[in-house]
Amino acid sequence: MSHPSLITQDLTIRFGGHVAVNAVSCEFRPGELTVIVGPNGAGKTTYFNLISGQLMPSAGTVIKDGVDMTAMPPSTRARHGVGRAFQLTNLFPQLSVLENIRLAVQARSGDGWRFLTRTSSLTELSARAERYLEATKLSAVADVPASTLSHGDQRKLEVALLMAMEPDIYMFDEPTAGMSLDHAPDVLDLIAEIKHDKSKTILLVEHKMDVVRALADRIIVLHNGELIADGAPDEVMSSQIVRDVYLGKSTEAA
Amino acid sequence: MTTTPTLGDRAVKLTVLVIAGLLLFAPFLFQDIRSLEVAARICVFIVLVASYDLLIGYTGIVSFAHTMFFGFGAYGAAISLKQMGPGWDAVIVGAIAGALVSLVMAIAIGLLSLRVKAIFFAMITLAAASVAMVLASQLSHFTGGEDGITYKAPQLFKTATKLMLNDEGKVMRVFGVKLNGKLAAYYFVFASSLVLFLVMLRLVGSPVGTVLKAIRENEARAEAIGYRVVAYRTFVFCIAAIIASLAGTVYAIWLKYTGPDTALSFSIMIDILLMVVIGGMGTMYGAVIGAVLLVLAQYYLRDLMGTAAEAVADMPLLPFILDPDRWLFWLGVIFILLVYFFPKGIAGTLAQKGART
Repeated sequence: MSHPSLITQDLTIRFGGHVAVNAVSCEFRPGELTVIVGPNGAGKTTYFNLISGQLMPSAGTVIKDGVDMTAMPPSTRARHGVGRAFQLTNLFPQLSVLENIRLAVQARSGDGWRFLTRTSSLTELSARAERYLEATKLSAVADVPASTLSHGDQRKLEVALLMAMEPDIYMFDEPTAGMSLDHAPDVLDLIAEIKHDKSKTILLVEHKMDVVRALADRIIVLHNGELIADGAPDEVMSSQIVRDVYLGKSTEAA
Repeated sequence: MTTTPTLGDRAVKLTVLVIAGLLLFAPFLFQDIRSLEVAARICVFIVLVASYDLLIGYTGIVSFAHTMFFGFGAYGAAISLKQMGPGWDAVIVGAIAGALVSLVMAIAIGLLSLRVKAIFFAMITLAAASVAMVLASQLSHFTGGEDGITYKAPQLFKTATKLMLNDEGKVMRVFGVKLNGKLAAYYFVFASSLVLFLVMLRLVGSPVGTVLKAIRENEARAEAIGYRVVAYRTFVFCIAAIIASLAGTVYAIWLKYTGPDTALSFSIMIDILLMVVIGGMGTMYGAVIGAVLLVLAQYYLRDLMGTAAEAVADMPLLPFILDPDRWLFWLGVIFILLVYFFPKGIAGTLAQKGART
């Protein structure tokens, strides 16, 4: 088995007296898609925020490829290859779709500090941005402001931004949330495509059980901020403790 | 807001080109001292307002310390010209000193406070600006206090300097304009302003320009995709400060006088704010339109009203309403109407027109 690309050790965060994530230790490996499940309020998004740096832990460490990232701000983690997409659409609304993607590309390429070069002269940058536009089938709307896109296209742009960052670790937080049934497959196909590249580590928070079954190599279950189950999908979904806290309710809902 | 140019976009660009042309030929088109004074002020304020637009329009930083940086540049040139005598060495020393002080202050304010919420940052810049104003009036042996400093500009810019002589040994005229030091001074102001403006135009069209807009739009996401927001904010704050400082130096050389009223007063800050709001934030071209309109209004609205009041002298009430003494009232009315009809500023609102067609 390959070395883990991402490790969280005893990761904990307290908000006042409430422990939102409680000593979660977990390892993630390249080529593996891990789905994180758990009821609302289980701490899934908080756990994501701790890994990508939006929140600083009260205790514990986040290690990526042997580098301790715990003290790094989100921007540094992003440049180290931790890519994060957000649950609520989180774009640059007044900028065009192409500009949105180009921002992610240039952050990765290190052109982000050029201030006397015309952006239009950086053809390599535009070419790469175009590639992600095509991959996500957004070429037709390249020049319109992100805010005018349909919800489904905004979700796709969210994924395109993540892909354009070319991270090693992909973190999706309910990528199909609020999408209609006929649009959700577009996003799921993109994730499946990323999965083909065996050097990538993928973390996915998802509620929809059919999505989980289709994509997951492994499932971890969070409940009240604690990691209560970890294993192959069949194994986890059939375990009694998981049925008790989560699946029993959710399969009815789904 | 699409990247394909709209009709309004073209109209704005055309207007800006026309303004640039008028400013380029201003000494020949408007041959009186006051007009040249107005043209030079417009040039300097375009740079000052555009540099402020980098902050408020592009990055979403609200600062009240912009006149402070303008003042550093102006006082830098004024003090060095006074102490070292009217030479280019003094100009260069003054410009560099002003820019350095601005840079150090900008880094200090930026690193200490650009992490905090926008409102606190605005308050800190306000405090810094007030301190600078108090210092300028208290350190009177150095800054001339409330009276300011009068000094001589380099030889080249003296009105008596003859750039070219005609056959009779007098100063040569082209289209009736004397080729004297005043003309040289104006073109110094024009050329410096043009260069600074073009640098800023290049900046906003660069990758950094897009990052700044991204920070304005969604700070958290900009950070999440890999941009250190605090560093970018501090960077643009420093650039804007240096450009404002250089604009101050240029204006000080033109005026041959620097005092709190011309370089540090809070009313300049309000002028800058009005110009950027009326012109249109986050457009660069808005700075040009805003600066032209406001400076023209400040210099000519009174005259215009005087003429209007005379023209209607026989009618009841109208002469009273249009009395030149009431020019500030009418200026206020014009601002309110402009903001009402151009909520995104003239350049910003126009750029959206024609987008639907």
